[in-house]
Amino acid sequence: MPAPIDYSKLRIVPDFDTAEWWAAAREHKYLVRQCPDCGHKWFPPIFPACARCGSLKPGWFQTAGKGVIHSYVVVVQPIVGAFIGTVPYVVAIIELDDCREAGGSVTRVAGVMLDDEPEVAIGLPCEVVYEETADPRIVMPRWRVSGSAANVWRFNE
Amino acid sequence: MGSLTDKYCIVGVGETPHMRPSNRTTLSMACEAVSKAVADAGLKLSDIDGMTSYQIGDSTTSPHVATALGMRLNYAVDILGGGSSGEALVAHAIGLIEAGYCKTMVIFRSMNGRSGRRMGGQTPGGPVPVAVAEGDGQFNMGWGWTTPAQRFGMSAMRYLRDTGCTTKAFAEIAVAHRYHASLNPKAIHRNPIAIEDHQRSRWIVKPFRLLDCCQETDVSVAIVVTSRERAFDLRHPPVFIMGGYARTLTDSPQWNYSRDEIHYVAGNYGWKRAFGMAGISHKDVDFVSCYDAFTFTTLIQLEANGFCRKGEAGEFVKGGRLRIDRELPSNLSGGHLSEGYTHGVQMVIENVRQLRHRADDACPGWAEGRHTYDRKAGCRQLRKADICCGMGWGWENMASCLILRGIAA
Repeated sequence: MPAPIDYSKLRIVPDFDTAEWWAAAREHKYLVRQCPDCGHKWFPPIFPACARCGSLKPGWFQTAGKGVIHSYVVVVQPIVGAFIGTVPYVVAIIELDDCREAGGSVTRVAGVMLDDEPEVAIGLPCEVVYEETADPRIVMPRWRVSGSAANVWRFNE
Repeated sequence: MGSLTDKYCIVGVGETPHMRPSNRTTLSMACEAVSKAVADAGLKLSDIDGMTSYQIGDSTTSPHVATALGMRLNYAVDILGGGSSGEALVAHAIGLIEAGYCKTMVIFRSMNGRSGRRMGGQTPGGPVPVAVAEGDGQFNMGWGWTTPAQRFGMSAMRYLRDTGCTTKAFAEIAVAHRYHASLNPKAIHRNPIAIEDHQRSRWIVKPFRLLDCCQETDVSVAIVVTSRERAFDLRHPPVFIMGGYARTLTDSPQWNYSRDEIHYVAGNYGWKRAFGMAGISHKDVDFVSCYDAFTFTTLIQLEANGFCRKGEAGEFVKGGRLRIDRELPSNLSGGHLSEGYTHGVQMVIENVRQLRHRADDACPGWAEGRHTYDRKAGCRQLRKADICCGMGWGWENMASCLILRGIAA
């Protein structure tokens, strides 16, 4: 498991479009945006309109916080100070199980894995976990591998 | 053919040295690059009546440059944008001149890309001490996932998985572009490298190593665009703009990761327009420039723009195919990987010089177009340089292209 993230060096600033998302994370709920008119789901919540039907009044969908790793990178050289002690760490793109839509549209989210690189592979199932930060308003969702899968791919170089 | 094909030309190019650091303002560098480009065209500053530039909140503006250089402009607009914007602004220039808003236009980019604002939020001294994550940053900075290397790495990793390509293909690009830089006195890194040097270099963010990444640079670059009629009487044989596309986007452009294939990049949507406008096919192209913020961005753009089939770019670049005197020379100045990082325009500059047959290499007679073609003696001029395809990259989701032809062979 990578060393902790130094959240004292990170200040998250929720805004008009994202405040409810961060408030939900504080209650250990993982939300994506959902259109009340056509049902389309998307992430991140900074986008205030439905890209499928144009509705300007997006709602929310509470996901189960489970998905499959679609891709990942392993950060070795830190750029953000809060992560200097955390390297190497894995950031993954995760395809959420309960956000697949007819027609193939997918909702993918990103986040920092709790697992070290050798445990991570494309195709593995994973689930969200919640981490307290230095800021009582901000609880940070992270992800961990939650099982095995038949067809996985791992970067071996 | 598109009705504007060959009606507009690039007639002047200029740049400041690639420095780290420049110890200069972006205004100072821009004035030098603009002056040099105008002089290169054989024009006076008073002949220029349009100016445009692109930036990401890190640079001076056209009105500043016009004030400093005593130019009275009929058109001055600066846009927000990074890579792929230079080629797009050439398209703006064509439209503006065609419509009569101005006659001759200079396009510049000026950036202290190493000593000033760095990509990904890093400070000149290194990691950003306390990060404020606002707007988009809430959903990337909070995850330590900000830089282009960290972001493009996602599509690169998935590409490796989907195609069976390995990072040896990345190495081919690093090696070819470095070889070209070894023939370029202006380049930051000129020592040739081998595949093994790339494979042994340290990890930055897997799947990218140090030698997959470009050289952050302090530099300014400028080009002059005008109509064919004016171009004929200027200093150099004109370089004709045959076709292109301008900041073409994929769907979901600001969240690439929800697209079906995250490595199906924007060039896929653009190349038919560019080649159709130009009235040529890929086999007519003598050389390319291909935005190499990273080795992978060159690799994926060759595929996206139809130079090889989908999933086959790794095979395509094998064995030095992108090197000078080989099948498809790429980034003859050394590109962002080795010459220096200018958000794209330096590649347009190199392409123009190649098409004029006046690459500024070690040949004593380069300025008169006399080249030895002896690579060991430092000549980097192509023997046959009639048509070039320049591919610009913003992110996976944004791309531009400029197909140019010269008449100076």
